[in-house]
Amino acid sequence: MKLIIKDLKKKFDQKEVLNGIYFEFEKGKIYGLLGRNGAGKTTLFNCINEDLSVDEGEIFIQEGKTDESRKLEAEDIGYVLSIPNVPEFLTAREFLKFFIEINEDRIHNPKTIDEYFEFMKIEIEDRDKLLKDYSHGMKNKMQMLVNIIASPNILLLDEPLTSFDVVVAEEMKQMLKTIKNDHIIIFSTHIMELALDLCDEIVILNKGVLKKMNKSNLNHNQFKKKIIEALKEE
Amino acid sequence: MIHTLITSFRLKNTYRVNSIIYSIKGLPIIRKVLSNDLYKSKFLKVLGNIISIIIEICSIFLGKFLYIWLAISSIAVIYQTDPTNTFLHLFFFLTLAGGILNTYMFNPTKDKYYAIVIMNMDANQFAISNYSYSMLKVFVGFLPFTIIFGTLAQIPLWICILLPFFVVMIKMTVIGNMIRKYKQKGVVNNENLPTKVSWIILILLLVIAYGFPYVGIVLPVNIFLFLCMISFLLGTISFMQIYHFKDYKKMYKLLLTPENVYALQNANSTKTIKDNIASNINYDGEITSDKKGFAYFHELFIKRHSKLLTKSAKKQTLFIVVVFSILIMISYMIPELREKLNNIPLTYLPYFVFIMYLLNRGTTITQAMFMNCDHSMLTYRIYRTPRVILGVFKERIKTLIKINLLPSSVLGLGLMLLLYTTGGTDNFWNYLILFVSVNAMSIFFSVHYLVMYYLLQPYNVNTEIKSSTYTIVQSLTYFACYYMIQLHLPTISFGIATIIFSIAYSFISLLLVYHFAPKTFKLRI
Repeated sequence: MKLIIKDLKKKFDQKEVLNGIYFEFEKGKIYGLLGRNGAGKTTLFNCINEDLSVDEGEIFIQEGKTDESRKLEAEDIGYVLSIPNVPEFLTAREFLKFFIEINEDRIHNPKTIDEYFEFMKIEIEDRDKLLKDYSHGMKNKMQMLVNIIASPNILLLDEPLTSFDVVVAEEMKQMLKTIKNDHIIIFSTHIMELALDLCDEIVILNKGVLKKMNKSNLNHNQFKKKIIEALKEE
Repeated sequence: MIHTLITSFRLKNTYRVNSIIYSIKGLPIIRKVLSNDLYKSKFLKVLGNIISIIIEICSIFLGKFLYIWLAISSIAVIYQTDPTNTFLHLFFFLTLAGGILNTYMFNPTKDKYYAIVIMNMDANQFAISNYSYSMLKVFVGFLPFTIIFGTLAQIPLWICILLPFFVVMIKMTVIGNMIRKYKQKGVVNNENLPTKVSWIILILLLVIAYGFPYVGIVLPVNIFLFLCMISFLLGTISFMQIYHFKDYKKMYKLLLTPENVYALQNANSTKTIKDNIASNINYDGEITSDKKGFAYFHELFIKRHSKLLTKSAKKQTLFIVVVFSILIMISYMIPELREKLNNIPLTYLPYFVFIMYLLNRGTTITQAMFMNCDHSMLTYRIYRTPRVILGVFKERIKTLIKINLLPSSVLGLGLMLLLYTTGGTDNFWNYLILFVSVNAMSIFFSVHYLVMYYLLQPYNVNTEIKSSTYTIVQSLTYFACYYMIQLHLPTISFGIATIIFSIAYSFISLLLVYHFAPKTFKLRI
């Protein structure tokens, strides 16, 4: 399965933020999306998630080896925002229950709620607390969990690990690696080390277009240098 | 010193002009025409400067004019006491109150914050130069009006000229006192948050100002002049203190905290509203639901927000019961009023459109729905699938109608009962139509608010309202309902019209929601 973005353009007032993006994302890989401040990473995510209408171009999914393509459906996408948003009036357990129930027909191998909590390493004593009283990092875990449960084809992660402590961040990294085979994961971050460590491909967004960075036979430092040079290009 | 004053003035002017340009940019149609580099535009800068000067002049004169005219001059003539003395009496005590309330120095304003905290200007020079300027403004602003209104009150010219000096001296005395207090105790009082003692003194001063003339006591001119002399003495001593005080930086650091400076802004911010609504979640572990899916989700929402939702509807209902009980009792106790009361259910039905508007909890409920629920849920794409949106919508519309029907059905019954006890009507249909139409209105408002919310979802992820259409529709609803107040129409015709309108409106808008909400119900960007 592939996510294909073709000639995507988006401008605000006179400013062209996305300027004819053409890119193919493949299932089974984690893509690290790097870009300077204001480069348009969030705009790109918002366009894929249909929060913003695009000015030109199209985004679609190609399944199997044939060229058959289809439009993106809401069910295809999970979007984890850097600021976690969870319904504060529910407990973690109630939130999961609701989510599992409304996604019943899409969850192929449903687990019990506690199994999901185990998977996300959410402690027993936290499971029946109101989400209002969760810490930032805990809310982030819940947000991630809910997005993963429904197993969307595409996972958009906007700076998802920054609010976690080092232990949890490591757990989450491992977790993403275990689920990557079933998804297209696009991971935006400002932390280059994280991107290099976790991601299979590095993609940079500069001057409104996406460019895949080939490591070829460069060593770690040379590759880093190459990425920074590419980001600096005016 | 002059240099500091000019610099601080230019700083203040720059952000004032920028905020004027910002507001111009916010205007619906003009926004589209204007380009983005507005803040560089010479023309707009000049326009902004002109408006800024007008604001400065207004701040000097307008307030003082209104104050002397409305709070002193026009009131002094009401009392039986001598108008000249009363004028001076009011002026004296209100000036004392104003001295406490309006110090300028201890008002944590943005211009002070920017200059002293952010730009790190010399606090001593800033404080003294700006304070002197503000006192000059007080004097210049008061002088014309003390002369005009004072002469009208037959106060000798020399006293009229003395009055602005008196105001300045009182203000300086208060400041001198506050600086002394800071030196001794290290405490700074924010003038916008008067202490308990200040409140008591203020109330006392107001009572003396407006209450004493009522019982014939006013300050004799001689004593007034004597007290003026003392204020000059104290004011001069205080001025020396203000001038020689060298610790303004430390003092202002205590006063100019972001909480103080942005207090007003914070109180109206959506964050405060959100925190307020979030604090209304009640969770005691016993509140659960055995439903499934949307119904489960929605039921928990309603139960955990009962304080905001059902409880207030119950309070309204109780209030309606009390009002109608009183009206019905009056109709028994004072039979002459019966005919008039009988008119209420028979011709004042349009008035009840406005009452139903006021009673309806739609705005609060949709706001709570957004702040505590949809704000987070809409970030999940799955929540925005047509199936989920419409599923939740269905549950919500049922509850909203139910909550609002409680007070409206009691109101309907109350009107029927009032009609019956005040002499009844020849046409039996009036009873039925009263009841049905009031409930139809209630359903209309419930549908209206929820449909508007789903079709125009106005908030962004920061819970700010981003849709001018939503605001316009809200105001139009208000004006339309307000307009109804003046209509007096027979219940039968107006009632039937209301019922038909409500049914048609609900039907059409539900169709619109089913058709468009999956596209429109999302976070604004």
